[in-house]
Amino acid sequence: MPVIVLISLRNLLRQKRRNILLGIAMAFGTMILVLANSFSHGISDVLFNKIVAYVAGHVNISFTEGSNLYKQVFRDGDRIVELVKKELPDITQIQEAIGVLTRAIGNGKADNVIMVGVDLDRAMGIAISKEELKKEQEEYKQNFKMVDGDFLDLAKSGAENPVAVSESKAKYLNVKKGDIIRVRFTDIDGQSQAARLTVVAIFKPANSFMAAPVFLEVQTLKRLLGYGPHDIAQLYLRIKNAKKMAAKDADRLHAVLEPSTAVIFGKADVHNKSAMVSVLGLRADTAAKKILMKNFAIVLGDSVAAFGKEGVCMVESLAAALGVMPGDTCTVTYKAKYDTQMVSMKYPIKAIVKPLNAMRGNVVFVNEKEFYAGYYYHWPQDARAHYPGAYLPAKSDVYYAAFDPEWMLLKRSRTTDDATKQVRELGKSKFKGVAVNVQSMYESASAVLQLEGALNMITFSAVMVLFFIILIGVINTLRMTIRERTREIGTVRAIGMQKNDVRNSFLLETFFLALFASLTGVVLAFALIGIFSLVPINMQDNPMSMLLVNNHLNFKPAAVDIIFDILLILAISVGTAYFPARRAAKLSAAAALRHYE
Amino acid sequence: MVKSISVLILFAAATSLFAQPSVSIEEILKKIEANYKMTSDAHATVALTQQKAGQGVKNFSMLYYRRDKDNAFMIAMTEPESEKGNGYLRVEDNFWMYRRNTRTFQHVNRDENIAGSDAKGDDFEYKDLTRKFTGVKDPAGKDSIGQEKLGQMPVYKFKVKAIINDVDYPHKTFWVRTDNFLLLKEEDFALSGTLMATAYYLKYTQINGKFVPVKQMFIDEFEKGNKTIMEITGISTDKLDDKIFTKAYLENLSK
Repeated sequence: MPVIVLISLRNLLRQKRRNILLGIAMAFGTMILVLANSFSHGISDVLFNKIVAYVAGHVNISFTEGSNLYKQVFRDGDRIVELVKKELPDITQIQEAIGVLTRAIGNGKADNVIMVGVDLDRAMGIAISKEELKKEQEEYKQNFKMVDGDFLDLAKSGAENPVAVSESKAKYLNVKKGDIIRVRFTDIDGQSQAARLTVVAIFKPANSFMAAPVFLEVQTLKRLLGYGPHDIAQLYLRIKNAKKMAAKDADRLHAVLEPSTAVIFGKADVHNKSAMVSVLGLRADTAAKKILMKNFAIVLGDSVAAFGKEGVCMVESLAAALGVMPGDTCTVTYKAKYDTQMVSMKYPIKAIVKPLNAMRGNVVFVNEKEFYAGYYYHWPQDARAHYPGAYLPAKSDVYYAAFDPEWMLLKRSRTTDDATKQVRELGKSKFKGVAVNVQSMYESASAVLQLEGALNMITFSAVMVLFFIILIGVINTLRMTIRERTREIGTVRAIGMQKNDVRNSFLLETFFLALFASLTGVVLAFALIGIFSLVPINMQDNPMSMLLVNNHLNFKPAAVDIIFDILLILAISVGTAYFPARRAAKLSAAAALRHYE
Repeated sequence: MVKSISVLILFAAATSLFAQPSVSIEEILKKIEANYKMTSDAHATVALTQQKAGQGVKNFSMLYYRRDKDNAFMIAMTEPESEKGNGYLRVEDNFWMYRRNTRTFQHVNRDENIAGSDAKGDDFEYKDLTRKFTGVKDPAGKDSIGQEKLGQMPVYKFKVKAIINDVDYPHKTFWVRTDNFLLLKEEDFALSGTLMATAYYLKYTQINGKFVPVKQMFIDEFEKGNKTIMEITGISTDKLDDKIFTKAYLENLSK
C-alpha cells in the first residue's frame, strides 16, 4: 500500500473525536440523501405506475363522436386495438376508461356516484406473465381491501350488474352485500337510462379518492351505457419504462392513426336498375365547400341541394345510367364489417353533379351528418382491401380535402395548455365524425407530473442545505487540522516529502473519511427504510394517502442513484478539501517548522 | 226491457271505449306537432317551481327566446340570485350552457337539466315527434291505441319508441285529447322499462292559432318526491333579432 495512503489512514485515526463527529455529520447527510431519493423514487413509482396509469394512462387515445365530449366512442374498436398492440410491443395493459356520473338510490337514501369500469378480464387481450398477473391482482387487493364479498365477483358473479361499493358509500346508501342499488344515468347517445346494480363486494378504500366511485366490470358498464360489442371507449395504455417511452409511443401511434377517406362501397338500386357505387361523405367546412364549388358543375339542382348541410348528389354518368333525377331515392346496399346481414341506406338524391376533373367510377356524395350516421353504425368493409373498383381518392387528388375521412386525427399537443385548448376547440366544432386524440401522460397528467417535480425539487433543496452545512464542517475541520499539523508538515517537508504528497495526504484523509461515512450513511438509510416501511400510516381521509402503498410509505432505493450519491459526497468533500490541502502543501518547510502556537 | 236497454247502453259504451280509433299513431303525432309548431318567433318569461325531496322548494325564473326558422332557443336565468346570468343556447345541433362565474360556454346534452331542475333542454324545443318516434304496434301489426278518460277528458293513450338515438328517453307513453289532439300527459321510460318521469300538460293557451302549454308539471318517478312546475307568461310573437341567438348576446345579457 502506498505510504501516502498509510499516512492518510493513520492521520484519520489520530484525531478520532473530531473525525468521528465529522463522519457522523457526513453519514447523516448521506443517510438523508439516500432516504430522500428513495422516497422521491417511491412517490414517482406511485405517481407514474399507479396514479397516472389509472387516471390518464401513460398514453391515451380518446374518441369524440360528433364533437360531443360526452360521447367517447369508436365503433371499429377491434381495428384500433389491433393497431395499438402491433405498434407498441412494450405495452403491458390496455384499459378502457369509462366513468359516468349517476344518481344512485339505495335503501331509502340517494346520492350522486360515479360508475367506473374495471377490466378484470383483461378484455383487450394483452398477454402477461403469471408474475405480472399476480402483481396486478395484488394491486387490486391493495386498493380494494374487502370488508364483505370478493372484488373478483364483479366478473364472475351471476348477479344482475354486479357492483363493488366502498364501505362509506354503502353506509350512506344504506346497502349491504346482495342489496340492489338503482341508478339513473345518461348513455352515450344522451338518453336517460336506469339500471339495477347488485352489490357483490364492499371494500375499504386505500385512499379517499377510491371511496367516491362504485366499480363495475367494464363490459357490464359498457353494455349499460349503450356501447356495442365492437365499440370502444377512451383507451388508457400502460407501457414499460413510461417516463422515457410515453411521448415517443404517443408520437408513433399518432403517425399510424392517420385516417384515409371514408368510403362505403355497395350496390345502388333506383328504378329497378342497379350499379356498384362508392358513397363518400362531404365535409361541411368552408374550405371543402370551396373545393367542391370549384371542381364540380351542377347539372341538376343547386349548390345547396348538392353540397349543403342536407345535400345528397350523384355524378352525372351514374345518374344517366340509372335514370336518376333529383327527388329519387337511391338505396345503397353494402356488406358491413360486423353485421351478418347486408345493410341498406336510403339516400334521397337532391342534385346531379359533373366532376370537372378526372374521377373514376360511380360516386354518390352525401352530407356529413347523414353519411357518418350510416358509416359509424354499420361500419363498412375496408374498400381498399376488398373492393378494387371503389373510388378511393389519393391525397394528391384535387377533391381529397373535400371528402370526409374515416375519422379526424387531432394534432399532437405538446403541453397541457395546448391539449386543453384543443379539447375546447373540439367542443365548439361541428364535425360530425369521430375526432381521435393521442396524448401522452406529459400532456394529459401534467398536474401529477408537476407534483412529482415539486417533490423532487423540495428534496433537492433540503439536501443542498444539508451539504452546505457539511461543507462548512469539512473546511473548518481541515483548517484546524492543518493549523495543528503545521510543524509536522514542516518536518515531513524537511525530510523530503514533496508538495503534492502533502496535499494528497490531506485529500486522501478527507476521501477516506467521506467514504466510510457515506457507506455508514447508506447502511443507516436502509435500516431506516426498513423501519419506516413497517410502520402503518392510517390517513384514509387525507388526499396525500394516495401516495401510500398499502398504508405504508413507499421507498424505492435505486443502486445507480446510491452510487451517484456516494460519488457526489466524495467529490464535494475532496473538492472542498482541495484548497486548504493545497495551502498546506505550499507552506515552506522552514516557515512551517517555525510555526508555534 | 229496462235491463235490455241497460245492457245495450253498457255495450255501446264499452265498444266506443275499446274500439280501435280511426286515426293512426303517426297521424296523432303529426296533429300534436301541428298544434305545437309555432309559425313565428316567440319570447316569454318562464317560472320554474322545483320541489326536491328533503330540500324544500326552489323558484327559478328565466327569459326564453325562440326563433322560428331553425328552432333555435335561448334561455337567460334571472332568478334565483345564484343562477342569475347563467343561460342556455341551442342553435342547430349545438346546445351550450353558459356559466356567468367562469364566463364559459360548455357543450351539454339535450337532456341537460335546466338550472338543476327537472325541466330538460328538450322541453323547450319543438317536439319533432314523427322524426324521433314511431308507434308501438300490437301483435297483429296494427297501431296499439287505447281510448280512455284522463280525469273527465277522453284521450287516446299509446306508446311510442325512438327510431333515432338522439332522444331523451327511448320509450314514451302519451295521453292525447281525442277532440283537439292536445298532449295532456306523457310518461318517459328507460330502455330497461323503468318509468323515469311523468309530465302533465296542465294548461294551454292559444297564440296565433297554435297551442302553447303554459303550465306543465314534471314529476321525477325515479327519485320520488322531486317535481317541477313550469309556468309560461308574457308570451310575445314579435320578430326577434338574430343577434339574440348568439353566444355574445347571452354573455352580454349576463353582465
